[in-house]
Amino acid sequence: MIDFAIYALTLVAIWSVMAISLNIQFGMTGLVNFGQILPFAIGAYAAAIGVQYDLPWWVGAVAGLVAAPIAGILVILPAGRSSQDYWALITLGAGEIFRLTMLNVPSIAGGADGVTVSRLPDRTLAAGLAVALCVVAYAVAQQIGNGPFGRMLRVIREDETLAATLGRSPMSFRMRVTVVSWAMAGVAGVLYAHVIGYVAPTSFLVTDTFLVWTAVILGGPGRNIGVVIGAAILILMSVSTRFLAEWSGLPSDLVANLRLAVFGLILVLMFLFRPAGLFPETKRVQNVDGL
Amino acid sequence: MLTVSDVSIAFGGFQALRGVSMVARPGSIVGLVGPNGSGKSTLLNIVSGIYRPDAGKVRLNDKPLPLGRIEAVAARGIGRTFQVPRLAQRLTVLQNMLVGARDQPGERLFDLFLRPGRVAAMEADALARSVAILKRLGLVEKANDYAGNLSGGQQKLLTMGVLLMSDPQVLLLDEPAAGVNPVLIEQQVEFLRSLRDEGRAIVLIEHNMEMISNVCDVVYVLDAGAVIAEGTPAEIRDNAEVIQSYLGQPA
Ligand SMILES: Nc1ncnc2c1ncn2[C@@H]1O[C@H](COP(=O)(O)OP(=O)(O)O)[C@@H](O)[C@H]1O
Ligand SMILES: [Mg+2]
Repeated sequence: MIDFAIYALTLVAIWSVMAISLNIQFGMTGLVNFGQILPFAIGAYAAAIGVQYDLPWWVGAVAGLVAAPIAGILVILPAGRSSQDYWALITLGAGEIFRLTMLNVPSIAGGADGVTVSRLPDRTLAAGLAVALCVVAYAVAQQIGNGPFGRMLRVIREDETLAATLGRSPMSFRMRVTVVSWAMAGVAGVLYAHVIGYVAPTSFLVTDTFLVWTAVILGGPGRNIGVVIGAAILILMSVSTRFLAEWSGLPSDLVANLRLAVFGLILVLMFLFRPAGLFPETKRVQNVDGL
Repeated sequence: MLTVSDVSIAFGGFQALRGVSMVARPGSIVGLVGPNGSGKSTLLNIVSGIYRPDAGKVRLNDKPLPLGRIEAVAARGIGRTFQVPRLAQRLTVLQNMLVGARDQPGERLFDLFLRPGRVAAMEADALARSVAILKRLGLVEKANDYAGNLSGGQQKLLTMGVLLMSDPQVLLLDEPAAGVNPVLIEQQVEFLRSLRDEGRAIVLIEHNMEMISNVCDVVYVLDAGAVIAEGTPAEIRDNAEVIQSYLGQPA
């Protein structure tokens, strides 16, 4: 039971980092990234490939940290000025291209069979690292979200032409957002690989991106603590349905599909009844008396 | 000095501007009048880089402006407002004001994380300037309301305030008085005069001829994409062609 709780905490922390990363992109900046799983997958595969070549773990970690934001820039660059319109499709496509490449080119990382990765020796250590990463990601997102940088991100979200007429380059802000948030997701992927001990294309599906989106919409786009709570709710729901599957004897495929249906239902209900999420973005009130 | 020379643009087959030239000197207010659809907003869109003209040039102090590049034009000290006010609706009035300030260290990630002192100092300075401008505009009571909750007239005033935070040399104002209540218009007129007296060049699109006569030093009349008259407000009032094409029309 304790083992299970520690494992659940680890997963909650890792997916919270993913939700925070998407929150900076979508919640604050309005970037519709349907390939959020891509930087995560890049991080995980960097760890896996590093292990395959007998490199120390930190080489893979650094590679993941660097490769994920570079991939982000490569994906966002061709979209150029019209990125808002094409960003969703381009990111979705990029994520799938990466996954299908890993699936169909076994010489890179074992193809469909995947590869094993050195597992962290102890579950408590894994949970500790995941929580530490989550705290750092949260602090970074708070510092961005509450300062002048995040204020300009929200202007870009609301009206990018306005930002441009104020002399700001929306593209430059989007680039920087992409670098920071994809680096975060990349590190989350590295850690995930070492927690699970195994990396295969089935871990990086479009449905995993869907999970992160549901967490953000449920928790409250633009609110860091909200999306962490959103991720926690969904991950706890997911892991407990796995128990449910074992206990009830229902086929696990069916349970997995039911889980997706429930996520879809959550999305629909949120759009209808609480579009700002369980914890909406707060209004920033500043004291102007005496000025 | 802002100089527009022989600017033309067509949308599809429709010629919206044909060889328009205009000059706006520092410390003066230039009125831009003409019937709806005559190309006034389009001219401001070209100057501010939103559209790229098919022909013609725009210069600021004899240096060409980058055509069609909004942020580069803004960086040269040209600010504008829009006919339909553009604001970040889900930010407060005060936050919209703060966004207007230029060169904020807090918008650079390095400074944001590693030089909190500099960021805080700039924020405090921008906050004080914002409040001073909001007081001038009579909006200080609304500082912590969402911009989207202001009335249309208040939103127009706020966009002027945001613009002033960037301390522009040239202000391009697209119908700043439309929808603003008459008392506030009085205030706005005073405000425009004081901005002119600070040495800024102002281009003002306005339908209210009384306001135009009141504040403008020079008036250009556009009709069907061409300048049909220019002169002092008094000259324009007496110009027969203008009377026929524009002022004579029932309102
Ligand atoms: N982006 C555009 N595409 C097509 N037509 C446009 C565009 N912008 C302006 N126009 C047309 O150009 C003409 C001038 O418009 P505008 O400059 O907005 O007039 P106004 O003098 O009322 O501000 C109008 O006929 C308008 O329909
Ligand atoms: Mg107009």
